[in-house]
Amino acid sequence: MNREEAPGKSPEDMYIQQKVRVLLMLKKMGSNLTPSEEAFLRNYAGVVHSQMSQLPQHNIDQGAEDVVTAFSRSETEDRRQ
Amino acid sequence: VTVGERDSGVAKVAEWQHTMYDLDSGINSGAPTVRDEDGEFTSSKHYTMTTTVTREEPDYEITTRSHRVRAAMFPETLEAGTTILSTQTDPSEMTNVQRLAEPSQLLKTAIVHLINYQDDAELTRAVPELTKLLNDEDQVVVNKAAQIVNQLTRKEASRRALMQSPQMVAAVVRAMQNTGDMETARATASILHNLSHQREGLLSIFKSGGIPALVRMLSSPMESVLFYAITTLHNLLLHQEGAKMAVRLADGLLRMVPLLNKSNPKFLAITTDCLQLLSYGNQESKLIILANRGPEALVHIMRTYSYEKLLWTTSRVLKVLSVCPSNKPAIVEAGGMQALGKHLTGSSQRLMQNCLWTLRNLSDAATKEEGMDGLLQVLVGLLSSDDLNMLTCATGILSNLTCNNAYNKTLVTQSNGVEALIHAILRAGEKEDVTEPAVCALRHLTSRHQQAEVAQNAVRKHYGIPAIVKLLNQPYYWPVIKAVVGLVRNLALCPENQAPLRDAGATNRLVTLLLKAHQDAQKHGSSAQQTYQDGVRMEEIVEGCTGALHILARDPINRAEIANMQTIPLFVQLLYSPVDNVKRVAAGVLCELALDKPSAEIIDSEGASAPLMELLHSNNEGIATYAAAVLFRISEDKNTDYKKRVSVELTHSLFRHDPAAWEMAHNSVPMDGPYADAELDVGMVGYSGFPADMDGMDGGLMSEDYPGTLPYDSQPY
Repeated sequence: MNREEAPGKSPEDMYIQQKVRVLLMLKKMGSNLTPSEEAFLRNYAGVVHSQMSQLPQHNIDQGAEDVVTAFSRSETEDRRQ
Repeated sequence: VTVGERDSGVAKVAEWQHTMYDLDSGINSGAPTVRDEDGEFTSSKHYTMTTTVTREEPDYEITTRSHRVRAAMFPETLEAGTTILSTQTDPSEMTNVQRLAEPSQLLKTAIVHLINYQDDAELTRAVPELTKLLNDEDQVVVNKAAQIVNQLTRKEASRRALMQSPQMVAAVVRAMQNTGDMETARATASILHNLSHQREGLLSIFKSGGIPALVRMLSSPMESVLFYAITTLHNLLLHQEGAKMAVRLADGLLRMVPLLNKSNPKFLAITTDCLQLLSYGNQESKLIILANRGPEALVHIMRTYSYEKLLWTTSRVLKVLSVCPSNKPAIVEAGGMQALGKHLTGSSQRLMQNCLWTLRNLSDAATKEEGMDGLLQVLVGLLSSDDLNMLTCATGILSNLTCNNAYNKTLVTQSNGVEALIHAILRAGEKEDVTEPAVCALRHLTSRHQQAEVAQNAVRKHYGIPAIVKLLNQPYYWPVIKAVVGLVRNLALCPENQAPLRDAGATNRLVTLLLKAHQDAQKHGSSAQQTYQDGVRMEEIVEGCTGALHILARDPINRAEIANMQTIPLFVQLLYSPVDNVKRVAAGVLCELALDKPSAEIIDSEGASAPLMELLHSNNEGIATYAAAVLFRISEDKNTDYKKRVSVELTHSLFRHDPAAWEMAHNSVPMDGPYADAELDVGMVGYSGFPADMDGMDGGLMSEDYPGTLPYDSQPY
């Protein structure tokens, strides 16, 4: 049985799954990983593969949204005629 | 000049013939006056001497002008025995005068005299008579009287006499309203129009109820009546106090807006100016214009005509409407942005400026509008202007149009918008009206579209970084600071920008601002009492600065600099913020800082674990991820109990949306030891063992002995 494809099968599996997911999310959000974290991902390539498709498709952390400015708060007189 | 001699009557006739009538009534010459088919009076041009003297022995003869007038107008007042010069040559045939002894004809003749001699006394006496005639039942009489009065209004003296008579003006108004005859309508409208060139006339029209009547004439099928009516109303609106209210009450707007479909540019110019006068500062008027499809008609004018004055008056109406939240979307939907954009490159400065102000007002309602390419490119071009008003508008419009619109962002980037904006910022100096929107526009261009990276690089390539970071200096104008902080964050996403940003002192300034803003926010107690400075909350500055530092911390040198500025305690404190965004950026920056072991230790020693554990449960994926990563990083050297706790918490958070995983977790080996926790559900998760990497290996690589397999049979902890 391929434990990698059965989430929650064992606590160890779950832990690995959690960590892989967190690291993949970090990468997706543009963050750096430590060398050991990169190695971890390499080691659990299979889990990585299965987790990749389960990551949310939308962008997670793109910073603050654009906001419009309401310029039309009050009428202004003609500044020039 | 008075004429005493009878035989100067010929001269008088000659003089009459120079009047506007060019008529010879035949009083002296005796020439029969022929009334032709259309009612016009013409002379037959046969002059015969036809004077006869009456039989009576006169006391005196009627020779003076005033006597002649009196004879014509008020024969009953003549003294007995007065000789009247009669032109009757043939007793069987009536003279012209006798034949045409209609009041109007007599009057017309008399008034012709009056016009010639401008005698105020006679004028004053004529006015009541004319007034009576205007009120006559007989529409023909009314028509004639109206025509006479119309003529009188063309000369100053007679005009003055007319406007000084309230009864006269009221009679004109009444006649205009009630008539079914087109000519009468035209003449009466013309009278009011002529009177409206003086204040006294305006007042008399206003007091006589002229406004409702004039408004009704706006529905006339006659172009001339329309013209007189709208022009008179325009004069009233411009110069008569109370006129605006009266026009509004008389449903003036309802009648005026449909006139926007006419095609005479000058007529339209007056009409639009009326609309502007009525709707400025009056919300109800703006809504009436909207309800009658005003925006479409006005936009159509901007698109179609080239008469400058019309375009200018129309742009003023649009400007007035553009501050109305209901009109704004209607103007945009009607193509207002594109139509106004057509006039930004012409020769009329006043038109261009009005269009710009209007576009700026509308811009926040136009962020999803398509077909703006031309406008955007023109605006980028305007950024090279030295005119402050123009720069203020161009930057403002660009800022809004690039807001959440990837297409517009890409277009502006490709049109050298970045370079143009940087130059505008450099030229504007401390003029926040320009720098704030310009920086916002750059902030929009540097994120969330395909060419965001191009824009981020372009800022650096056009030497924008030092200028931008300089804006973080004192004196602080917080809206600009907020915009710059957001832009710096985006710029830092580009690795090549990290060093230039550092060199320009960005890190230093951001930390200083963060500390100051945090202090200010703390001073005011709970977050319920938010601190505003220049309309910006200090909590926003805290969030923005932390967010920028988060991205700057991706660079190892920046990261060290940030940590060295004693920022970690503050970031840990921010983990407790009630605001999700603040939690996210705080966890994010700590996540980056924790890459370095010394920083990870400081983070841990500041007690970050507790709040981070809480954050694992966040609904926000970003927050939960950063929190987990920090916990992983600070727990590398920790004992397995700690790691287990982390894992348990993670399970509850990261898999709680996965029922199967949750089930599995709950059904596994029961939890033991000190981890039974009120937060955890019944059926705690326990672990028989953990993978090797959790067994105290400090950052070392996983053994190559375990490629692709799970070390599930490792030592129990």
